[in-house]
Amino acid sequence: MENILEVKNLCKTYDNFELKNVTFHLPKGMIMGFIGENGAGKTTTIKAILDIIQSYRGEITIFGLDNRKEEGRIKEDVGVVLDDMFFPEILTPNDIHKTMKSIYQNWDTKMFYDYLKEFSLLPNKQIKTFSKGMRKKLEIATALSHHPKLLILDEPTSGLDPVARAEVIEIFQNFIEKDDCSILLSSHITTDLEHIADYITFINQGEIVLSKTTDELLNKYGIVKCTEKEFRQIHKEDYIKYKKTKYEYEVLIPNKKSFQEKYDIAVIDKITLDDLMVLMIKGEE
Amino acid sequence: MIGLMKKDFAMIKSNFKLLGVLIIVYTVMGFLGEMDISFILPFMCVMIMISTFSYDNYNKWDAYSITMPNGRKNSVRSKYLATLAMTFAVSFITLLLSFLISYVRTETIPYEQILVTMFGTIFGTLLVLSFMYPIIYKFGVEKARIGIFLIVFGLVIIGSFLLPYIDFSFLAKTLSFLEDYILIILVAIAILMVYGSYKISERIFRKKEF
Repeated sequence: MENILEVKNLCKTYDNFELKNVTFHLPKGMIMGFIGENGAGKTTTIKAILDIIQSYRGEITIFGLDNRKEEGRIKEDVGVVLDDMFFPEILTPNDIHKTMKSIYQNWDTKMFYDYLKEFSLLPNKQIKTFSKGMRKKLEIATALSHHPKLLILDEPTSGLDPVARAEVIEIFQNFIEKDDCSILLSSHITTDLEHIADYITFINQGEIVLSKTTDELLNKYGIVKCTEKEFRQIHKEDYIKYKKTKYEYEVLIPNKKSFQEKYDIAVIDKITLDDLMVLMIKGEE
Repeated sequence: MIGLMKKDFAMIKSNFKLLGVLIIVYTVMGFLGEMDISFILPFMCVMIMISTFSYDNYNKWDAYSITMPNGRKNSVRSKYLATLAMTFAVSFITLLLSFLISYVRTETIPYEQILVTMFGTIFGTLLVLSFMYPIIYKFGVEKARIGIFLIVFGLVIIGSFLLPYIDFSFLAKTLSFLEDYILIILVAIAILMVYGSYKISERIFRKKEF
């Protein structure tokens, strides 16, 4: 399958933080959920992909082209929502339209104003009068309105209420159904990702811990809840991490089926991305 | 790039009213034969454009602008072109008004002198722009303002100490020799100055991380 985004051995060093050989790829027509706790390196990785930070090592290609050498060609087809609010508050959606119309060749005026209508955003109101959720919606509408082939979204649903989140998620789903477009989506709200992401890439302390299909993660991985005595019977190679709670052991296993065949432990829970993150970060090996 | 210029102009549209008021004040004062404030107007353009850096910085726009096609290059280029466009447009309006005032008030300043004054004003404005923009790109608006204040203050202090010891007769001779070519020389200096400043700013912004 053709990859729309490839990140290979990305390294970036700060005084108190380091990205270590970050490597993953996003196939065409897929949504990748990019997860990790605050400060794990999600935003730094996204900034490197978008050339917002520069002094890094490694190779990043978008549509098969080098992200720095061919940035003019690449960015025409990339829609972006960054973690922070970025539109000058003094502007109105009308101003944003006039600006973007002269920047993107494929800017779609009708699509932009349709989104404004759908999101109940008044075109002539200054952005400073908008709530956080409304500002996010404007950013999403802008990112979508130049027909990008790749959306890179850093926390796009933060600040949105559940109804608005569902609305936006549906828009993202419709987006990838058209023309084999792809989305790299970082989010803390992992329940959203469980519904829409085809792949999950998990970063922890600047390192990619896993990058797999969501189906594989949610169907194959599991959490065994057992007593200490039962836990002692489990071989180290059959689990990834474990956490001792007040009453039991929670053990993250990579393959429910083979585990069930090997051990006689009754309680194997379905895993959620939240469970996975907590156990991978807080669990012991 | 045109889009980024439109964004800057949209951000300062409320300042256009102020500029309009100043032009009216200038015209009225000119007709009444009061103080000539034409030199303020082009300078105001640079000062207004500098406020767009503050808006960009406050709203974290620069990081986003880099995600656009040729974002790093166009961000810097659009700032310079927007400032130049505004400065020349306002200077042109001021010049026309000055000619009109001079025409109506027959006893006032000759056309040549109006042209020289306006030319000097534009040159001074471009000097400020060329000097300030790279500093703003490097250190941000707030630090740049303090830095420029300190530099100007320092130059005034040093100048006031050195001035009594400088022999200006040689300078006067050189200037009289250059008199015939002064316009061409100043235009060339202005072009080089603005282009050099743009290249420095572009280089600073190209390496900047957000």
